[in-house]
Amino acid sequence: MSRILELKGISKAFGGLQVIDGLDLHVDEGEIVSVIGPNGAGKTTLFNLITGVYQPDRGDILLEGESLLGLLPHKITQRGVARTFQTLRLFLNMTVKENVMAAAYGRTRAGVVRSILRTPGMRREEREISALAEEKLAFFGQRLMGYRWNQPAYSLSYANRRRLEIARATATGPRVLLLDEPAAGMNPKETYEITELIAQLRTEGGYTILVIEHDMHVVEGISDRVVALDHGIKIAEGTFEAVATDPRVVEAYLGTKAAATK
Amino acid sequence: MDWDFFVQQLVNGLTLGSVYALIALGYTMVYGILKLLNFAHGEVYMMGAFAGFGVLSLFGGALGVTINVVVLIGLMLAVAMIGTGFLGVAIERFAYRPLRNAPRIAPLISALGVSFFLQSSALLLFGADFRSYETYEYIDLASGIHWGPLNISVVRIAVILTAFALMFGLTLLVARTRLGKAMRATAFDREAAAMQGIDVDRVIVATFFIGSALAGAAGVMVGLVFYKVYHLMGFLAGLKGFTAAVVGGIGSIPGAMLGGLLIGLSEAFITGYVSSTFQDVFVFSILIVLLLVRPSGLLGKADIQKV
Amino acid sequence: MSEVEGTPEGPKIGVDEWVARSEERSGVRGGRLAPLYARAERLPWWALLAAAVGVSALVPFISSSDYVIRVAVNTVLFALLALGLNVVVGWAGLLDLGFVAFYGFGAYLYALLSSSQFDLHFPALLSVSIVIVSSALLGLLLGLPSRRLVGDYLAIVTLFFAQIYVVLATNADRITLPWNDGPTDISGGPNGITDIDPISILGYEFGSTRSYLWLSLGVFAVVVVALQFINHSRTGRAWRALREDSLAAELMSMPVNRLKLLAFMFGAATAGLTGTIFASVQLGVFPQNFDLPLLITVYAMVILGGAGSIPGVVIGAITINVSLELLREPANARLLFYVAIGLGLVTLVRPWRKLAAICVGLVAFGIVAYQLAEWLRPAWVSGTIEGGRFAGLLDGWVIHPVDSTHLGNAGFILLIVAVLALTELRGIWRSILLVPTLYLAAFVWENRLVVEPSVTRILLLGALLVVLMSWRPQGLLGTSRVEIV
Repeated sequence: MSRILELKGISKAFGGLQVIDGLDLHVDEGEIVSVIGPNGAGKTTLFNLITGVYQPDRGDILLEGESLLGLLPHKITQRGVARTFQTLRLFLNMTVKENVMAAAYGRTRAGVVRSILRTPGMRREEREISALAEEKLAFFGQRLMGYRWNQPAYSLSYANRRRLEIARATATGPRVLLLDEPAAGMNPKETYEITELIAQLRTEGGYTILVIEHDMHVVEGISDRVVALDHGIKIAEGTFEAVATDPRVVEAYLGTKAAATK
Repeated sequence: MDWDFFVQQLVNGLTLGSVYALIALGYTMVYGILKLLNFAHGEVYMMGAFAGFGVLSLFGGALGVTINVVVLIGLMLAVAMIGTGFLGVAIERFAYRPLRNAPRIAPLISALGVSFFLQSSALLLFGADFRSYETYEYIDLASGIHWGPLNISVVRIAVILTAFALMFGLTLLVARTRLGKAMRATAFDREAAAMQGIDVDRVIVATFFIGSALAGAAGVMVGLVFYKVYHLMGFLAGLKGFTAAVVGGIGSIPGAMLGGLLIGLSEAFITGYVSSTFQDVFVFSILIVLLLVRPSGLLGKADIQKV
Repeated sequence: MSEVEGTPEGPKIGVDEWVARSEERSGVRGGRLAPLYARAERLPWWALLAAAVGVSALVPFISSSDYVIRVAVNTVLFALLALGLNVVVGWAGLLDLGFVAFYGFGAYLYALLSSSQFDLHFPALLSVSIVIVSSALLGLLLGLPSRRLVGDYLAIVTLFFAQIYVVLATNADRITLPWNDGPTDISGGPNGITDIDPISILGYEFGSTRSYLWLSLGVFAVVVVALQFINHSRTGRAWRALREDSLAAELMSMPVNRLKLLAFMFGAATAGLTGTIFASVQLGVFPQNFDLPLLITVYAMVILGGAGSIPGVVIGAITINVSLELLREPANARLLFYVAIGLGLVTLVRPWRKLAAICVGLVAFGIVAYQLAEWLRPAWVSGTIEGGRFAGLLDGWVIHPVDSTHLGNAGFILLIVAVLALTELRGIWRSILLVPTLYLAAFVWENRLVVEPSVTRILLLGALLVVLMSWRPQGLLGTSRVEIV
């Protein structure tokens, strides 16, 4: 298995606060890696660094051996890294299908002039991304199908918005998918579904997945490997069982006393 | 080097600068708390100038009362500040508050509407002619400081001193009082401040009142120094006040003062030494360049984008 | 994360039933005009366009008045401007307050290239092409700050640009150029540039106003088709995406900076193109043609019609331009005012019994007030009322003092206070206060506003923007937008 995403000695500080400190992380092709850690451990910052929203102070980020440093976020996405947002950032007033089609921007070419003239090439491209959007939405069974295509995204339920975010991210044509708390705010049934779905994303979609998740059932259910962060430092790495019982992880989550009494 | 001319421009710049600083404070305070660009602020300043004019002509004309000039100017400032203070509160209440959770562009468009509404109201009420502050009836303009090349009229000294007194007062208010503390907390994080039991609406109303009152005072001062008041005066002054706020770093109170003085001085010196027709073009170019080089302004803090 | 509140009795937003009933809800839109909306929505967009252009093209056959045709041309030009602004504001969500400067730039550049100013008489097509390209480039230049500046700063920078433009146009009549002795007149200063060549294409010279109407309608049709196609292409989707959430758009592979510049260029090119037609219809350009009142007019058109909707902004342009034209003459202005008040009452006041009570109350209130004023001080009712139709009807109802200016001004201030108070009151008190407020409005209108149409138009546009933003930010035809913060 080859390394698809590799972070080498990444550091990031905001003012005096060291959010990520000398972090090494790698994700292999076809792997599902979970990042866990208490609130404020630097998990979302990690995603922001990978996707180019922030520039790291030190270190390097490699996608298939090529550095992503200095690239604008949209370029990084076009290289093959797509993400979802913990706080859900859909294009709320666009339709469900348009949300997905808009994300195909990076894989289409038709410029303004060709769009005005509606050249055959442009129309073919439109049909292609329309089909692509339907295909990506179909991944979620009946939930985002049919009449919902033409509903504005704000009309969707919370769980469906999370699904639409995933559909939108996959429409950019990524190789690596970064999922930021995909099960947050979902009920147990939906959480179970999302666990299944992440597994399917790998088997059917062929994506390599890096996921931030708080729900330990989800983490247990999907992860090949788990990385635990605390205060921007990697405190444990390995299988779910190994990480979950690591005293440092328990300490980070429950505090020193709890770790001592265990 | 013609020192006389230089000093004259310097004093001009300081006067203009203190006026811009007062306007900039209103912009910066409102922006700090609501993240809202109050376009109508320049018109508030214009209304202040007219309020002062009203008081002046009431005592000079209608009442015909002879009154001590210091008291008169104090009265003009007081009426203008209280009047514009309430005007600012009304603008907030009716044009901005309904839009607090609307898309960001909505209050800006509303502010544009308020600005034009106030401008044409002034045109309707006061006419298109220049009105003149006839203060020379009260003040001997020749009096002032005469020391070698230094030649500063008493009005200018009074205006600059008043402006600095107001700024000092505001700094104390923000630094020392309960209200000031509440304002800083609200500016830092509105929701958190509300959860700490701060009545955010009251803080916002107070901010609008204070900011608008300062602009009203600036309006009277401009009238005292430059005599002319007219319905379009708020537009450019408002733009420059905003420029000053941005140059200093929007949201920062000392920044607004510094920015105001900088803009006033550069305008005066450009008018004096470069071009008296295109000084506005130069001032705005300074702003655009500065925004491109240092978007957070001289004393501002760079925002961390939250995702 | 705050969820949007659903309507209290209906299902919650996002629940399946709520989604399914979405159609139903949008059907309610427009109140009594709903069936009309529904029918219009079923037509394809090109049929609507063809109908609108076709009907407008017939204007010269319906009215031979040159004034009417001229208004029609202006309306089409405004519609073009609104379409251009809609790209920047409605789709890309950027607040461009320098928009009218591009219009002015286009008009002036065309004037310089095709007039006796420098004795350049370029063929119209060449001039127009140069103007479009240079406007777009200027838009690119002005858009550059938008790479770094979001929202408010961008607004102010573009507003400066508009201001600089006016200063330059007014003062560039005595510029010292290094290669020329003495000052050179570039822009004609406050007197502008006159004697502009009419547009001629392939030997056909557009001389009459009616030929310009057809020309501008042709341009309008082309622009609408182009914008419609762009809106449903990847570029249009990306614009709307960046309006919704520019960071998410950037992270979903859209080059946000380039798209913003593109939007700016599009708006600028449309405005520049419109400017060329304006310059050649008017046969002259003057600095005050492109000042801030024009900016607020175009903004009001876009917002009233519904930012983001092509038919919306066109309808906004028609409504506002025609209304502003009607305001010019007291008799028409009066009609417009009372019709607008009447329409407002009919749509907003329910049930009809309340409406009837308010109308009766209003008439009675006026008669009593008039008698009272006459009894107190005869000078309050012996002023002249502006003539024209319906003036006789108002005699005995509206107070019209000799000193209409001062009392009118006082009434104006009182009216503002009364309207603000109305928005605060609820229930019966609101209806009670409504009667004197309406009467006061009529008083101010007859004594003050009708007399000063140029002030009144800006006053009304300003008020319109404020009211629309709080009451119906989506305008007449736009769909309401949801923002969750």
